[in-house]
Amino acid sequence: MINDRIVKRIYTNKTSLFGLVIVAFFFLVALLAPVLAPVQNPNNPYQLPQKSYQIAPQPPSAQNWFGTTEQQYDLYYGVVWGTRLAFKIGVTVTFFAFLIGLLVGGAAAYFGGKTDELLMRLTDVVFAVPSLVLAMVIAAMLGPDIKNMMIALTAVAWPSYARLVRGDILSVKQRDYVTAARTLGARGPRVLLRHILPNAIYPSVVVASLDIGYVVLTAASLSFLGLGAQPGTADWGQLIAMARNWVLGTPGHPFAYWYTVAAPGGAIFMFVLGWNLLGDAFRDILDPRQA
Amino acid sequence: MTIPVKIEHLFKTYTRRRLLGKNWEKPVLKDVSLTLEENHVLGLVGESGCGKSTLCKVLLGIEKPTSGLVTANGKDVARLSKSEFKKLRRVMQVVYQDPYSSLDPRMNVRQILSEPLDIHGLKKDRRERNEFLKELLASVGLSETQLERYPHEFSGGQRQRICIARALTLDPKILVADEPVSALDVSVQAQILNLLKEIKKSRRLSVLFVTHDFAVARFLCDDIAVMYRGRIVERAPAEDLFTRPQHPYTQALLSAVPSVRAAGLVPAAAEPSREYPERENWACPFAARCSHAQPACADTPFELKEVLPHHACACCVLPFKKTKSKPEV
Repeated sequence: MINDRIVKRIYTNKTSLFGLVIVAFFFLVALLAPVLAPVQNPNNPYQLPQKSYQIAPQPPSAQNWFGTTEQQYDLYYGVVWGTRLAFKIGVTVTFFAFLIGLLVGGAAAYFGGKTDELLMRLTDVVFAVPSLVLAMVIAAMLGPDIKNMMIALTAVAWPSYARLVRGDILSVKQRDYVTAARTLGARGPRVLLRHILPNAIYPSVVVASLDIGYVVLTAASLSFLGLGAQPGTADWGQLIAMARNWVLGTPGHPFAYWYTVAAPGGAIFMFVLGWNLLGDAFRDILDPRQA
Repeated sequence: MTIPVKIEHLFKTYTRRRLLGKNWEKPVLKDVSLTLEENHVLGLVGESGCGKSTLCKVLLGIEKPTSGLVTANGKDVARLSKSEFKKLRRVMQVVYQDPYSSLDPRMNVRQILSEPLDIHGLKKDRRERNEFLKELLASVGLSETQLERYPHEFSGGQRQRICIARALTLDPKILVADEPVSALDVSVQAQILNLLKEIKKSRRLSVLFVTHDFAVARFLCDDIAVMYRGRIVERAPAEDLFTRPQHPYTQALLSAVPSVRAAGLVPAAAEPSREYPERENWACPFAARCSHAQPACADTPFELKEVLPHHACACCVLPFKKTKSKPEV
């Protein structure tokens, strides 16, 4: 029944359908990466194949569909395997950030008092530093590596969930149906699991779906700054980082090397757009009042 | 036989601890004593913020009293073990004011009505439960076809019927109704009031009925207690209260009820006399707004005294001169 509603909802709204199509497309690409771009280095599929050591990028050709970037790394391979990496980063980071936020926010709201004060001030501290800067600091401290970058991203992403979950639990806790459940004789765990959480969690689920796109965008920024994936990795941010010297083109021909940013930039753009549209659709679907 | 609800000298003060400075304190209930007789409807009337809902919360055991004794079905509500507390739930149930927020939006009617049964492990047999839910819905004027619907698909009146049905699933003896009709349309109010009256009769319920609407109270209640700033200022059988209101506050409330026939009472609060400007800390809580205020109101201890048979009033200047002239419009 809920599935019917989701399907109906998505089909009746053009933009959310568009979002779903984009995300589904990327998902397929990620899933079929080994078919679309056969692995060159079996030990590390995210290692970009390198045609030669020539510096200047080469435009798209029959052999390299999206062209090659600096040092002849294949852009097509990078975009395809980068999709898989983007899902990996986006979903993992969002999942753990959501989990930490849920635990911290839930504990703060449930126990209240000093626990609440302590946990919320801690989140405030994380919030007070611009998230990209903090992620950069953490990533730099841990060393440039995809795993470390994911830790850094999780460390800056959880506070928003903690706040959201805490606020929603506190607001739901006050509603009459929660008091009603108590007066019916329901004990704490039942009230929490059956009434408070299901009603408090869905704004966070919506934020999480929007966040997957945003996390990938931030990850790309970190990679661009050299704090994420290593050069030669099939990572969208890294592909753009490798295009850094070529973005401005040659004197008089600003778009001479347009292909170095077009494919990875387009992929990031569409990925974030897709999740944003889908997030909006989730917001509508998860609201029971909109049948 | 146990008296359904007995409240003696109940005080309730909300406090908030502060890191710096004095704790913030707000006394909400001051020395409230009330008795709800078996198979009676006791109306609790008063303006917003006078402590009506807090009284309900304390009675239901959601808030702890600061001091005083609250017994429901002969048991001290504040000192119950978890299992006794759960048992009391089957005796005492509640209907809330806002039918929009008192039903979980993610549960359909079947789930809402099954929850109390699940919690108390009743009617486990599927067929038996179905029959039970069907009858229950019929008794509040809904049909079984509506079992699978969600709260947002119902109107306010229908939602309140669901709330009443939920309160009745455990077959309670005491019903606390916290302004159950004030959020509803006038035409729907009448339906719900009739339903409550009917249910009260057929199930022999004792009802604590909170309202700020005198017309509603008059229709349903056997006894009425009038509350002002956390105190009971007057308590009387319903008809007696309407025909012979004693406290200036009750008179003010009654005169404020719109009526096609003029009540013939001058609103006591309409024009507080200017003779005694500083009246905030007087013993009588109503003194600051009272046009009958006397110097005696400043330090005569607050006391609810029986002034007529079964009719108690807490005004210290009684009997005062009653103005019978019609209020000028």
